[in-house]
Amino acid sequence: MSVLRTESLYCAFGSLVVTKDVTLTVIKGERHVIIGPNGAGKTSLLNQIGGQLHAGRGRILLGGTDITQWPPNRIAQSGIARTFQRNNLFPNLTVLENLCLAVEARRGRPWDFFSLADHRHAVIRRAEALLAQVHIAGDASRPVHNLSYGEQRQLEIGLALAGEPTLLLLDEPTSGMSPAETKSMIALIASLPRTLSILMIEHDMNVVFTVADRITVFYYGEVLASGPPAEIRNDRRVREIYLGMED
Amino acid sequence: MEFFLEQILNGLVYGVLLFLTAAGLSLIFGLMNVVSLAHGSFFMMGGYVAYSLYRLTGSFWAALLLAPVPIVAAGVAMEVIFLRPLYRRGHLDQVLLTFGFTFIFLDAVQTIWGRDVLALPPPAVFDGVVALGTGVFSSYRLFLIGFGLAIALLLWLFLDRSQLGARVRAGVDDAAMAGGLGCNISALFTAIFGAGVALAALGGVAAGPIFGIYPGEDAEILIPAFIVIVVGGMGSLRGAFVGSLLIGEADTFGNAYMPQLALFLIYLVMAIVLLVRPQGLFGIKHGLAASPSGSTPAAPLPSRRALAIGLIGVAALVIYPLLVADYQRSLVTELLIFAIVAMSLDLLLGFTGLMSLGHAAFFGLGAYVVIVLGTFFDFNAWFGVALGIGAAALAALVIGYFCVRASGIPFLMLTLAFSQLVYSVALKWRDVTGGSDGIGLAVKPSLFGFTLSNSLTMYFVALFFFVLCFLGLRRLVSSPLGRVFIGIRENEARMLAIGYATRRYKLASFTIGGAVAGLAGGLYAVFNGFISPDAVYWSASGDILIMVMLGGAGTLLGPVFGAAAFLLMKNLVSTYSEHWLAIIGVVFVACVLFFPGGFWGTLRQVRIMTREKVPA
Ligand SMILES: Nc1ncnc2c1ncn2[C@@H]1O[C@H](COP(=O)(O)OP(=O)(O)OP(=O)(O)O)[C@@H](O)[C@H]1O
Ligand SMILES: [Mg+2]
Repeated sequence: MSVLRTESLYCAFGSLVVTKDVTLTVIKGERHVIIGPNGAGKTSLLNQIGGQLHAGRGRILLGGTDITQWPPNRIAQSGIARTFQRNNLFPNLTVLENLCLAVEARRGRPWDFFSLADHRHAVIRRAEALLAQVHIAGDASRPVHNLSYGEQRQLEIGLALAGEPTLLLLDEPTSGMSPAETKSMIALIASLPRTLSILMIEHDMNVVFTVADRITVFYYGEVLASGPPAEIRNDRRVREIYLGMED
Repeated sequence: MEFFLEQILNGLVYGVLLFLTAAGLSLIFGLMNVVSLAHGSFFMMGGYVAYSLYRLTGSFWAALLLAPVPIVAAGVAMEVIFLRPLYRRGHLDQVLLTFGFTFIFLDAVQTIWGRDVLALPPPAVFDGVVALGTGVFSSYRLFLIGFGLAIALLLWLFLDRSQLGARVRAGVDDAAMAGGLGCNISALFTAIFGAGVALAALGGVAAGPIFGIYPGEDAEILIPAFIVIVVGGMGSLRGAFVGSLLIGEADTFGNAYMPQLALFLIYLVMAIVLLVRPQGLFGIKHGLAASPSGSTPAAPLPSRRALAIGLIGVAALVIYPLLVADYQRSLVTELLIFAIVAMSLDLLLGFTGLMSLGHAAFFGLGAYVVIVLGTFFDFNAWFGVALGIGAAALAALVIGYFCVRASGIPFLMLTLAFSQLVYSVALKWRDVTGGSDGIGLAVKPSLFGFTLSNSLTMYFVALFFFVLCFLGLRRLVSSPLGRVFIGIRENEARMLAIGYATRRYKLASFTIGGAVAGLAGGLYAVFNGFISPDAVYWSASGDILIMVMLGGAGTLLGPVFGAAAFLLMKNLVSTYSEHWLAIIGVVFVACVLFFPGGFWGTLRQVRIMTREKVPA
C-alpha cells in the first residue's frame, strides 16, 4: 500500500531542470533511500514533497489526497515530517525549547496565550522522551548553538519525530558525522517503528545498504533505477555512473 | 477627451519621477539586499542643490547636470563609511542607520534653505505650452516624460548590453556568485549605490519646476517609491518601470476623477497585487531564506530577586509623584505612556521578528478616536479609549493581513506605506481631524470623580496601565503563543516545516501589538488633550523604533528604559537646541554603530561574559 506517490514531478530553476518526470512510490513501512550524485536534484525532490518548493508540473499524493499545492505547514500537519540537509534549527533557543515548539505544533495548544510554556508538563515530558529517543544526553537547557554538530543532526530528527509523522523525510542524516556518530544514527533509524515510512537521501553506501528496503537512483533530475538493494547493486548502468565512482 | 489625455500625461510625469527614485532603490536592494531610507532625502536634496546652482548660474541645465554631483558624493560617503560595515548585520541596523541620515539631511536642508517652498523655474526653452487637441499642455512636462523615458532606456541598455551590466544582473541574482565571478564586489556596490543616488537627485531636480522644493518631499517620494517596488517586485528594473507608471497613473486618475478616494487608490492597487502575486508583478518567487537570527533567548521566568527588584521599582514609581512638582510628574507620565508603545512594538520587533516601521499609526489611531469622539459626540474618554483600542486592533488586523504576506524589507516597506496612509487621512480629513492643526479635547475627562487634569491622577492612571501592559506582555511572551512568536523570529522556515501557519501567528502578534499601541494612544490623548498628524508621521514611528533599539529589542524592560532615555534626551535637547532633528539622527547612527544590542542587550552581554569568566 503506498503512503506517498509522486507522479511526473517536474521542477526547474530557470533553465536548470532539477526534477524531470519523477514518479516514485513509498510503500507503508518501507525504508526508501534515494541516492545520486551531487546536484542530482534529490533535495529539490524532498523540498517539493515537503512543500518548501512548488512543483512546476505533476502531482504529489499522500494516501489518496493531492497535496501538490499545499503549504509546508499543512503538509506537516497531515503527517509528513522532514529534516534538512543543513541543520535548520532554532540555534538561540534551548534544546528543550526547540523540541517543545515542535511538540506543541502537533498536539499542544499553540494559541494558548495565558499558561506558562515552562509549566506545560505534558509537552515537556514528551519533549524529554524525544530527547532520549534521539540519544541527546546532557543538559537540555543548553542553547542549541552549543551542541556538537552531530547532536544537532540528531535534534533535527527529534524535531521531525515530534510531529508524529506517518512519513519521515530525511535529507542526508549522517552527513558530516564521525563514524561513531554515524553508527548511532543507523541505530536510531533502525529503532523507529515500522508503522513509520521513511524516505531518505543518503550518500554513505554503508548506511544505504544497511537501512534500505528499496533504493532509487537519481541522475540529473531523473530516476535512473529503482528497486531492492540487491538489484541496484547489480544494475550495470548504476554501477557505471554512480557506484563506480565509489570504488 | 483632452482632459483624459492630460491626465495620462500627468500620470506619466509622476510615473517617471517615481521611476527615477524607485529604480535606484530596487537595484540597491537587489544587489546588496539593503534598503536605504535616505533615498528620498537624496531626491529632496537634489532639488535644493539645483535651486542654489540655479541662483548662482542662472541656468537650469547647469543645475540639472551639476546638482547630482555633491549629492552622489554624500551618498557614496554614507555607503562607504557607514553602511558598508553593516552589510553583515541584519536589515534593521541598515534601516536605522539610513533613517538616522534622513533626520540629519532634513535638518541640514532646513538650516540651509529654510522651511518654505522654493520655486525652480523651468528652462526657457520649455517654459511654454504645447497645443494638445483643443487644450494645452506644459512643454516642460512633456520634456520631463521624454527625459525619464530616455533614462529608463539608457539604464535598460546598460544592464542588458554592457559587460558591467551583466555583472550587476549576476549580482542581483546571486551576490555570492557575482563575488565568485571575480569582480570587485564592494566597488560594484558603491558604484550602483552612487548611480541610484544620482538618479534620485536627478529626479529631485526635474521635479522642482513642477512641484516646488520643500522639506517633507523626502517622505513624499520615498513612500510611493516603496509601493512601486512592492508592486513591481524587488530587484527588478522592469518591475520598477511598470510599477512606477502604474502607480503614477493610478494616483493621477484618482486625483482627477475621485479626489476623495485618491489617497486609497494606490494602496488598493498594491493590495490587489499583493493578494494575487505577493512577490510583485516582476518579482522572482523565492522561498523563505533563513532569517538572520535574533540574539536573545526566550524570556526566563521571574526569579525571586527579579520580583523583588520589580516591586521596589513599582514602589519608587508610586512614591515619586508625591515628591515632585507638576512638570516632573507629567514628564514621567509621558514616559510611562511611551514605554507602553515601545513595549508593544517590541512584541513585533523583538519577539516576533517583524520589522514594523509604521507603529505610530496605531498609537495615533487610538488617540484620534478618543479626541474625535470626545469632541463631536461628547463620548466619555474611557469609552473612547476602549473604542480606540478596538479601532487600532482592527486597523492592525487589516493592515497586517496584507503586510504578513511579505517578510523582511518588503514587510517594512508595507508597514511604512500603510502608516503613511493613516497619516494622509489624518492630514486631509480636515472636518474630522482638524488637518495639520490637529484637534484638541475641550474638557479633560474624569475618572470616578477625579478629574484627569490633575497631574497626580493622570500619573497613577498611566502607571496602572503601564504595569498592566508590562505584566500582560510578559505573560504573553512566556506562554506557548509567545514561544511560537519567538520561534518565528528565530527561524520562520523551520516553523512552517514543523506545522505552524506562521502568517496567522504573525498577524496575531501584529494585531496585539497594534491594540496595545492603541491603548497607549488613547492614554496619550487623555493626558495631552491634543493630537495632530505629526504623531502618526513616519518619523514618529521611527522614534518608537529607536526607543526599542536603544533599550534592546527582545527584552521587555529594555524598551522601557529606551523610551525613558529617548524622551528625557528629547526634552533636554529641544530646550537648548533647534537642531533636535539632527541630534536624533546622530543618536540613531550612534546607536547602530556602538550599541547594537541596546542598553539592555549590552548589559546582558556583560553579565553573561562575567558569569562565564567566573565559573560558579
Ligand atoms: N534555490 C535554487 N535556485 C537555483 N538553483 C538551485 C536552487 N536550489 C538548488 N539549485 C540547483 O539545483 C540542482 C539540484 O540541487 P539539489 O540540492 O536538489 O541537489 P542534491 O541532489 O540534493 O545534491 P547534494 O547531493 O549536493 O545535496 C543543483 O545544481 C543546485 O545548484
Ligand atoms: Mg541535497
